[in-house]
Amino acid sequence: MQEGIVLPARRINADLLRSILNSPKWFWIIVAFMAVFVLGAFSTAGFLINRGYGVTGLNNQVLWGFFITNFVFWIGISHAGVMLSAILRLSKAEWRRPATRAAEVLTVFSLMTAMLMPLIHTGRPWRTLYWIYTLPFVPYDFARGIWPNVRSPLVWDPSAVYTYLTSSILFVLIALIPDFAVLRDRTTGLSHRIYSVLAMGWQGNARQWKLQIIAGVLLSALILPVFVSVHSIVSWDFGMAVSVKSWHSTVFAPYFVVGAVHSGVSAVVFVMILLRWCYGWQDYIRLEHIDSLGRLLIVVATGWFYFFVMEVIFGFYGMESDELAVRQMQFMEEPWNLWMIFFVGLTYFLPVGLWLTRSWRRNLWLMSIACISVNIGMWLERFLIIVPAQARKQVFTFNWYTYAPSIVEIMIIVGTFAMVTMLMLLLSRVVPLIPLYDIKEGDILKTQVQIGRRTVPATFRED
Amino acid sequence: MTTPKPRIDHKWGMVVDLDRCTGCQACVVACQSENNLPINTKDVFLQRRAYEWIRIERYWEGEFPNVKARFIPIMCQHCENAPCEPVCPVFATYHNDEGLNVQVYNRCIGTRYCANNCPYQVRFFNYWEPVWPERMRHQLNPDVTIRSRGVMERCSFCIQRIRRAELTVERQEQGKLDHNTMKERNFLPACAMACPTNALNFGDQGDASSPVHHYFEEANHRLEERHHRTERTEEHPSRVYRLLEEMGTKPNVIYLKKVDMFPVKKGA
Amino acid sequence: MAAGEHHSEGMWVFPAPEAVTGDMAEKAAGMPKAIARALVVTGILFGLGIAGFVMRALDDGFGAHGPWGYYAAIFMFLFMVTGAAPLAAVAFRFTKSHWRRPMSRVSELFALLGVLNVIMFIPLMIVLPSIKNPEVGVEELEIRRSIWFETPIGAPLAWDFLGILFLAICSLAILWLSAMPDMAEGRLSATGFRRRLYSLLAGRWYGTKRQWTIQKVGLGLLGAFYFMTLVFVQFTVASDYAMSLVAGWKDSIFPPLFTLTSFQSSLGLILLALFIMRRWGGYEQYIGVSAFWSASKILLGLTLLWAYHTFAFLITFWYGRLEIEQNVLKYFFFEAYGGAFAANLFFSFILPFLILLWNPVRKTDWGPTLAGLSALSGAFIFNLKTFVGAFNAGDVYAYFFEFVPGPTWPDLWDVFMVIGGLGAAAFIYIAATRLIPILSVWETKEGAKYQKMDTLVRGRYLVLAKPE
Repeated sequence: MQEGIVLPARRINADLLRSILNSPKWFWIIVAFMAVFVLGAFSTAGFLINRGYGVTGLNNQVLWGFFITNFVFWIGISHAGVMLSAILRLSKAEWRRPATRAAEVLTVFSLMTAMLMPLIHTGRPWRTLYWIYTLPFVPYDFARGIWPNVRSPLVWDPSAVYTYLTSSILFVLIALIPDFAVLRDRTTGLSHRIYSVLAMGWQGNARQWKLQIIAGVLLSALILPVFVSVHSIVSWDFGMAVSVKSWHSTVFAPYFVVGAVHSGVSAVVFVMILLRWCYGWQDYIRLEHIDSLGRLLIVVATGWFYFFVMEVIFGFYGMESDELAVRQMQFMEEPWNLWMIFFVGLTYFLPVGLWLTRSWRRNLWLMSIACISVNIGMWLERFLIIVPAQARKQVFTFNWYTYAPSIVEIMIIVGTFAMVTMLMLLLSRVVPLIPLYDIKEGDILKTQVQIGRRTVPATFRED
Repeated sequence: MTTPKPRIDHKWGMVVDLDRCTGCQACVVACQSENNLPINTKDVFLQRRAYEWIRIERYWEGEFPNVKARFIPIMCQHCENAPCEPVCPVFATYHNDEGLNVQVYNRCIGTRYCANNCPYQVRFFNYWEPVWPERMRHQLNPDVTIRSRGVMERCSFCIQRIRRAELTVERQEQGKLDHNTMKERNFLPACAMACPTNALNFGDQGDASSPVHHYFEEANHRLEERHHRTERTEEHPSRVYRLLEEMGTKPNVIYLKKVDMFPVKKGA
Repeated sequence: MAAGEHHSEGMWVFPAPEAVTGDMAEKAAGMPKAIARALVVTGILFGLGIAGFVMRALDDGFGAHGPWGYYAAIFMFLFMVTGAAPLAAVAFRFTKSHWRRPMSRVSELFALLGVLNVIMFIPLMIVLPSIKNPEVGVEELEIRRSIWFETPIGAPLAWDFLGILFLAICSLAILWLSAMPDMAEGRLSATGFRRRLYSLLAGRWYGTKRQWTIQKVGLGLLGAFYFMTLVFVQFTVASDYAMSLVAGWKDSIFPPLFTLTSFQSSLGLILLALFIMRRWGGYEQYIGVSAFWSASKILLGLTLLWAYHTFAFLITFWYGRLEIEQNVLKYFFFEAYGGAFAANLFFSFILPFLILLWNPVRKTDWGPTLAGLSALSGAFIFNLKTFVGAFNAGDVYAYFFEFVPGPTWPDLWDVFMVIGGLGAAAFIYIAATRLIPILSVWETKEGAKYQKMDTLVRGRYLVLAKPE
């Protein structure tokens, strides 16, 4: 039998707009709590810029540390949005419906957060703003005679990320138009006026729906190359660095992209579980959705594991002493080897073990544990790729060193997590994090087929 | 003085004779004072953020008591194919037409990518604002910029000395700039000038009379052989090599192998 | 979408479940003239291939691996395509895609070619140079770089062989398990030899609920197992026979690229087979355009992924400027085998991409087939270039690949072996279709029950059921 009953549209509106129209008591407490960390991170960044990069744990050998790790991590999380909305929309997977909005919004916020990382990572952020962060507005800056170096992956990076950010915001906004119209009709005063502007005169007539659907499908298709290129280019920040052993690996691009999808989709599943719990959306985020996402994640995780094995095997394959030194550090030396064990266990074996059984996939506690563990693991993955390679860069053993983060770096990292949480919470006050019209559309397309004595759930298809 | 004089195409190079290097660190000190490097205090050193545009790496060979110390001075190799150059997003480091890899401090935004992509690890990041004790203010070299925090720096082959020599020839002596007039100015990088054993030799690769000329001839010849896919003709006992040759960076610094009269007995 | 009967002609087919069994049995038992002719032609090619192989062995012996480059290439092509072909059935059965139904047996039947792969692999075991360097010279390694490092017993030959053997057995098991219900129906209607064979293969199949459950779970497990083993064996074989024969070529994306090429080309081959069946085999009422339309999306995705992986490889090697990497690029991509790479890029990416870009073209049966054929040719050139190149790349024990040789052209025996390999594969496959129905009867019947046309608002739409 079908899990989930078809609800009347009025009920759907009331339920899904609950996060906006009513304000729970705990809401502002949590937002304030997060804001403390965010403020802490910003003041720490100010301290960092004021005093210089000496306050971090970086040194002459390990020049990229926690900030870059965190940058790659958040870029990775941002890959959930397109994976769930665009790919699943194009492949017409019905179970994507409640997950799309949360995923897209998470994409936007994690991208914004991620781009703060390289900014405070560079030695002179004010110049970075001027030279590099103008790229989204002026693709190649002829006018000011700045001449950024197009050969540098660090120029490819902001170009790709900002393109992705722009298109993700467009994607979210276009998907939101029908829901903004619903909100417009239910609010008064200033918010009514704001929603009216955002709804862009949506009346819900056939032509508007058609245009909205075409725009969604087109954006899905166009955003896919951007989606792949973003994390590929992030991986090429490392892949192009020929001098750091173990970074210059050809498999990095797909390896990073699959890893990003892995951590991103896990993060979305966790966000969905939280939303279900916070706003009581049991009827919309149903166990079958979590179940399907869990099955998708097994495939993604296994694909990721394959690329991971490729990367490691071909690290050893060359039998070059300098590369072996990096691997020696990663796999043999304390504490790195412990991190390695945690990383592989948390990213693959623990979560996939939990996802293998249907009843465990439908247990929200276990699912949350698995999703959090994936993200801890993926964070460690980036750390273990970035740091040991620099600590054992070449055959000149005289220069080998290690790295330990300072409290400044840790504060800022914690702040980024608080920031994404806070922004997500704040946005849930403004827009419905489950698309209203998408749920209704799914309900309309639902039907049943009678086969012998059984009734089998079925859907209408448009092709 | 209005029309610029025709300039000769220099291609600077350095030859490091490891057989002569005693590991005395005179070059390090000379470089430190010539190029306004901040003082490597104990703190800075323990943080592993010491600036050494030229450093002497010391390696032990053999087991005690049958042991030898090996020294190798490493400075920026001024690679023809420098890995640090393409990765800089703002062209803060580029190659000039004299075979030098130069750093534009004003353009540098401190991504530290160049330092990561340098196989020789000779690029240094200014983690702190450089400070000197008050009484040392007057020893700073006025020809060299003091780098603020947040930018990368590294050996420039004492480009200020090369420029000063050129200016002296052209402006003060109204002379013609060529190998001989340049040589008469007797300029050398601070490290080469300070080296007591002449282990560091500096000069123009194209100038047949310079001490580095024939070493570069030899090194380039060997590279040519490789690139024209000819099988190696004959393994002549050459001391010439470049650091990390297989990286294909084509450094403008050449090393001469140590001639070891009494090698450490292996497994003794 | 517009109201009314909007799905185009032949998009979805609604076969009558009652008629399928008889029709299939009839089609499998007959021997049309075209098939007989195809069997003769491919049989002759097969013979030529054996002749070429014998002549090659007589001419060059099994001592050096260089002359066997083309043999390795054709083996790798067959292994790549036929090894990955059963995956189409496995993967899309796993995702419960309805459109897979007409193509699942077509894809599983390639399991029979696993036997050919096993036999063809044996000479390659002999010619592969040993990992340990027999005579260590100046600037040479004691053991060449390989994924086996300290060489466990029998590596790499025995392990590669075991892998290929295991794949053959596993895919045969999938074929058997999936064909079992059809065999059980076949034994009722068939006569003579076929009847005995079907009874033997069907075993005690009576179609009880428990048997169906076991069959479905078994297919799922075997499929997952096959998938993982295939990817692993492709990794070991591709590394052993290409990468580790070029001294110092270290390229972690090569095995994924090989696997991806195999997925793309095998889907292309299946589409080609489906197209032939639909156009000339009289299966039009079973194979709807929807199979091509849906497969074309997957093919487009794989094509784009192929280009992406190739680009990821090229940019990393090109940017690095290490001498070894430059030499690999010169050899395989720009100088020696530059033309082959251009052709590979054209057939594996540019042409299929330009074809599959257009929705109207993808909604036909010939469009995706053309793209598939192109991908298949691309994979063929990919294998020729990679394995012929790797087999002739000079000293395998050198420190790195220092001197870039020119391309190796085939001689007559090479040509014989290549067309012979293709002929042998076609021969076995066509012969197999005479025994086993090429359309999965039970899946077609099941599919017919899960789909219907229904009215939604003002339009008639297709309804697809998805049982959990």
